[in-house]
Amino acid sequence: MNTKFKKLPLTLLCGLIGSITFCQVKLPEIPQPATLRVITSNTNPVNSTPNRSFSTSRPNGMAVYKQDKKRIEQQQNERKQIYSELKAERIKYSLPNYSNIESTKYYRKAFDQLKTLNPNDFSIKEATFLIENAYFEEQKDYSEFNKTIRQTGDFLREKMTELEFDQNSNLAKNFMLFKFFSDTLEIKSKDLKHLPFKYDFEDYLGIKDWSKMFVTKLLRTGKGQCNSLPRLYLMLAEEIDAEAFLSLSPNHSYIKFRDEDNNWYNVELTNGMFTTDSSILQSGFIKSEALQNGIYMQQMTNKQLLSQLLSDFAMGYARKFGYDSFVNQVTNKALELYPKSISANMIKSNYLTVQFEYVARQVGINPRNHQELQNIRFYPKIVELLNSVNTHYKQVDNLGFEFMSPRDYEKWLASLKESKNKNDNETMKKQFNIKLKQNLKN
Amino acid sequence: MKKLFIAFLFCAALFQNVKAQDFLYQESYNLLVKMLENPETYSFKKAVFSVENAYNNGILDTIALNNEISFLKTLSNKLLKSRTLQYQGKDKEKVSKYAALFSVLNDSIPIKDAKDNDFVYVPYRYDFNDPFGHENWKNMFVSKLLQTRKGNCHSLPYLYKILAEELGVDANLALAPNHVYIKHKSEKDGWYNTELTSGIFPIDAWLMASGYIHLDAIRNGVYMKALSNQESIALCLVDLAQSHQRQEFYSLDFVIKCADKALEYFPNYVNAMILKTEAKGKKIENILASKNTSFSDVNKYPETRKILLEIQSELTTIHKLGYRQMPEEMYLNWLVSLKEEREKYTNKKITTFKPPTN
Repeated sequence: MNTKFKKLPLTLLCGLIGSITFCQVKLPEIPQPATLRVITSNTNPVNSTPNRSFSTSRPNGMAVYKQDKKRIEQQQNERKQIYSELKAERIKYSLPNYSNIESTKYYRKAFDQLKTLNPNDFSIKEATFLIENAYFEEQKDYSEFNKTIRQTGDFLREKMTELEFDQNSNLAKNFMLFKFFSDTLEIKSKDLKHLPFKYDFEDYLGIKDWSKMFVTKLLRTGKGQCNSLPRLYLMLAEEIDAEAFLSLSPNHSYIKFRDEDNNWYNVELTNGMFTTDSSILQSGFIKSEALQNGIYMQQMTNKQLLSQLLSDFAMGYARKFGYDSFVNQVTNKALELYPKSISANMIKSNYLTVQFEYVARQVGINPRNHQELQNIRFYPKIVELLNSVNTHYKQVDNLGFEFMSPRDYEKWLASLKESKNKNDNETMKKQFNIKLKQNLKN
Repeated sequence: MKKLFIAFLFCAALFQNVKAQDFLYQESYNLLVKMLENPETYSFKKAVFSVENAYNNGILDTIALNNEISFLKTLSNKLLKSRTLQYQGKDKEKVSKYAALFSVLNDSIPIKDAKDNDFVYVPYRYDFNDPFGHENWKNMFVSKLLQTRKGNCHSLPYLYKILAEELGVDANLALAPNHVYIKHKSEKDGWYNTELTSGIFPIDAWLMASGYIHLDAIRNGVYMKALSNQESIALCLVDLAQSHQRQEFYSLDFVIKCADKALEYFPNYVNAMILKTEAKGKKIENILASKNTSFSDVNKYPETRKILLEIQSELTTIHKLGYRQMPEEMYLNWLVSLKEEREKYTNKKITTFKPPTN
């Protein structure tokens, strides 16, 4: 009896448990219309893109117009995409090569020779001659050029003896060189006379005639500009064993030298004056970043000088023939020697720009037209080119470069002759005379 | 007995006070170092106010100052909305904020309140009285500038930088002899200067051709370099040390510690070097005084001789970097010259919000 009583609740329990578990079994749901999916086959395109806008509401004129416009635009873009892909296959990404022009061979030959120079110890006389002679298609005679420099060197040495200058003093040698450029010098015993060099205002940027920049032109005519004058100075310094350096300022180059006490001087050859740092800075186009990066007002090392000469060389080629891969090659070499070179970086930017514009024009885009330029987005490779142009310009900006117009440059050159700077020049000259005399006494 | 007790209390209070202030300096130092080590904690506003708070015995009213700054921020934002800048670069948004800040610090701006009453907002001015903080060191402070609306070449660029950061753009401080100004970089104009003491944008030649700066100092980045945020905190460290030096009781070791930390993050910071050598000089004096001798005996004792040699080598470094001392009178003449030769030295490329013509 007792057990029966006990069993009853057990079955009850089992039943209860059963009913509870049964209740938790999910019944299959009745399909709702919302969950129904239309099965479409790919073979039937009509069903796959049902246009519901017509059936749901009455078409609004504006909406239809907008939609059509959007669709047309999309189609146009797709078409452009297809065309661009077709065109892209035919684009030439590198500039046409001028190597088929016979006279470029002189440049290639000269470059091979320039590459063999030791960047830390080379003759600026030889390098300059190579560069200028390539432009003249090897029509110039080195021995004659060399003779002129030699003779001038002898003349300077003789004059130094006559003036009783210390032949071993760097200050004396440079002062002699300065006099040679800016004064009339005579050696009466031998009836020799040299007139000061003049500044050639005409086409001083060599736009009409690149050979205006050359030392050969300066020697022939006695007139030069801020490119040829300092280079001749360096050649003559090399000849008489004086230490002098090339230094740059915006659109300009000049000479720096130091005396035995490590005081530095600036020689401005375009007007035959000694200038102070502040008169150079007065131009207003030198940023502090340019000084921090050493692109201006810094005496150039031999390596940097060779890089500068290579930039001149590349520029000469570009002026004579145009920009092509040879310009790029020379510029890369110049940048390898002097990565922060402002001249080489500028030529590189020009090269990249010319290349980009050449490629853009091939697909019918005028790169100078802002509207048309938007279309280059269909050509990823051209976008890449544009990016590299922009990055390079940014680099030039970061070096502290600021564009100085020829007008501002001329204004600044003229300002150097103003009374204050003239006074500075006179006092410096006097100081030199005193120092030179002191050296003699010692 | 009673008098003695009062005297004792007074001394204790004074001692407590000195200790509290030392604590404030130490706290500010720790905050600055933390900003240097974890750049994510950087805030120029907090850095500057912590220095000024230490000097002010911890009673700097930061709530009022923050209110003033947020007012200036609102005003700048209002300006941004109401005027458009004639500048066509991709970074127009940033450059417009710079222009707005420049207006807020330099221009009179007509404003209306909620009831349509007209007011004219008066800009900040340069204070020619005590520009070096000789009479009152607080004259150098941003808090003083905000309270009196007059400041100098220290507080004005600092406030500008604080406001720029509030607006979510960067601003670089730059140094010249005895001077601080702002450098910005924009896509169109590259690096350009903002000079707040005379409210113009001078070209670099203004500083370089002045004849007061040795070119080596520029080449070595002692002057005219756009300073990073970390380098700006290094400036605050030296400000902190200089404030500390003006206290009645101060520790030379704390001054040297600040200078060393500043130099760790801004190695060519000449002011930190000078501060350090001066502190070392005083150290020698203290040692010699404790031995009851004078400076003529400096080479007699190894400890003083060692410091002297250090000072000499540091002074050589300072000279080599291109630092030359500029007399204070010269400085003021030079500052004024910028206004006189405005035409010659203005950077004409920079676009600003034109002041209203009416």
